[in-house]
Amino acid sequence: MTDIGPSRIWARRVSFAALVLLVIFFNLLPLQTLPRSWAGPDLLMAFAFAWVVRRPEFVPPLLLGGLFLLADLLLQRPPGLWALLMVLACERLRGQSRSLRDATLTTEFLAVGSMIIVVSIGYRFLLALFMLDLPPLGLALSQLGMTLVFYPLTVFLTHALLGVRKATPGDYDSKGQAL
Amino acid sequence: MAKDRSNGMDYTAPLRRLIVTVLVLVLAATFLIWRIDSPRVERFRAQVTDQIVPNFDWAMAPVTGTINLLQDLQSYRQLAEQNQELRRELRKMQAWKEAALQLEQENARLLDLNNVRLDPRLTYITGVVLADSGSPFRQSVLLNVGTRDGLVEGWATMDGLGLVGRVSGVAQNTARVLLVTDASSRVPAFIQPSGQKAMVAGDNSAAPPIDFLESPDLVRPGDRVVTSGDGGVFPAGLLIGQVAASPDGRLRVRLAADYERLEFLRVLRHYGTPPVSDTTGVLTPDGPRLLVQEDATSD
Repeated sequence: MTDIGPSRIWARRVSFAALVLLVIFFNLLPLQTLPRSWAGPDLLMAFAFAWVVRRPEFVPPLLLGGLFLLADLLLQRPPGLWALLMVLACERLRGQSRSLRDATLTTEFLAVGSMIIVVSIGYRFLLALFMLDLPPLGLALSQLGMTLVFYPLTVFLTHALLGVRKATPGDYDSKGQAL
Repeated sequence: MAKDRSNGMDYTAPLRRLIVTVLVLVLAATFLIWRIDSPRVERFRAQVTDQIVPNFDWAMAPVTGTINLLQDLQSYRQLAEQNQELRRELRKMQAWKEAALQLEQENARLLDLNNVRLDPRLTYITGVVLADSGSPFRQSVLLNVGTRDGLVEGWATMDGLGLVGRVSGVAQNTARVLLVTDASSRVPAFIQPSGQKAMVAGDNSAAPPIDFLESPDLVRPGDRVVTSGDGGVFPAGLLIGQVAASPDGRLRVRLAADYERLEFLRVLRHYGTPPVSDTTGVLTPDGPRLLVQEDATSD
């Protein structure tokens, strides 16, 4: 169907970076300086997973690692840890993306949802292992739940508005090979 | 075709694996270096923030303004209710204003009698809040003043009314203020009028609890909590808030600063309180014996 040349892939990579910067920008807005008892969804994680399941070639590991390290630095997290877990999780989903391509949304949600839970637990475990302050359990759980709930919405945004869809049998890459 | 693809996979897969391995090692090293030498990496973080966030400033102010406006519109619905409440409060306030005016006059008279000069070194720099911490797990804000304006790490930050936090992390154009509500914030405090010393320990809630209180029986809800100046980080006597008892019976501080809207913050210039090292030499150069002799001769 559509020819995906290198320039188009790079345009998509840039648009992913822009999306991540936009999410960070909205996170940084000083709207709520009073501590909250609940936490919003981690949209960065949801978007990264939605993109990597759909079109792994749009989100190469170096781009993911760089953007998540930047997010770690800007959002006051221990630098590198969350980025490390996200890179590993995205690599894992990248390996599954070929089989998830034909799967229904439910199957995809199960695969991604379990990955979200594994990453969250792993992050908490590593924080405890390195004797760092653990975030309050209630906040962490609410963030996990919200991310799970918002994942279908990010899938919809990615699919409908940003036009990042799963590869279909008619798609070819720049070298004319089937994806 | 299928053969082509498998060839292609053979060519790219090891390279990809190498990139991922190197990336993972770099990220893990970053985390470990941060864990071992936190101040250095935090300075780096401050530099990165300093490079990036001020660039967003042109967009941040209007977007924040618009969203706040929309939130305000929602609250206009309860306008009639609010109006009633405000009228009631105004009546109360007028009584207080009268009391305040009388006290002000009295205070001025007393200061005049004592010939008191207030500490002239407690001047301040005002900054605008650029961004917050960006995550619900950390309570901090970013100000648009930095080393360029002579800011030093550790200085106390207030809004018009009460203590907001302290400067932790300064870069050229920006400074991060760790709020009193953050889980890693500890402020040595002094509770008036009972004079108890305590610690205001942030725990990611709107009203931080009071720790290390010697006799909680002497403290009543409504007592004022001010900084004690112990530890030399904060100047003494800055208002933090009022004591309030939470439903679980713990004493907490209802903060005086308006945390709903932190917009303009004052950073107090504070060069530390000089420690008193020797007790007698401070009184006279010749020691206390001279005083005793004087007393004896006057008798």
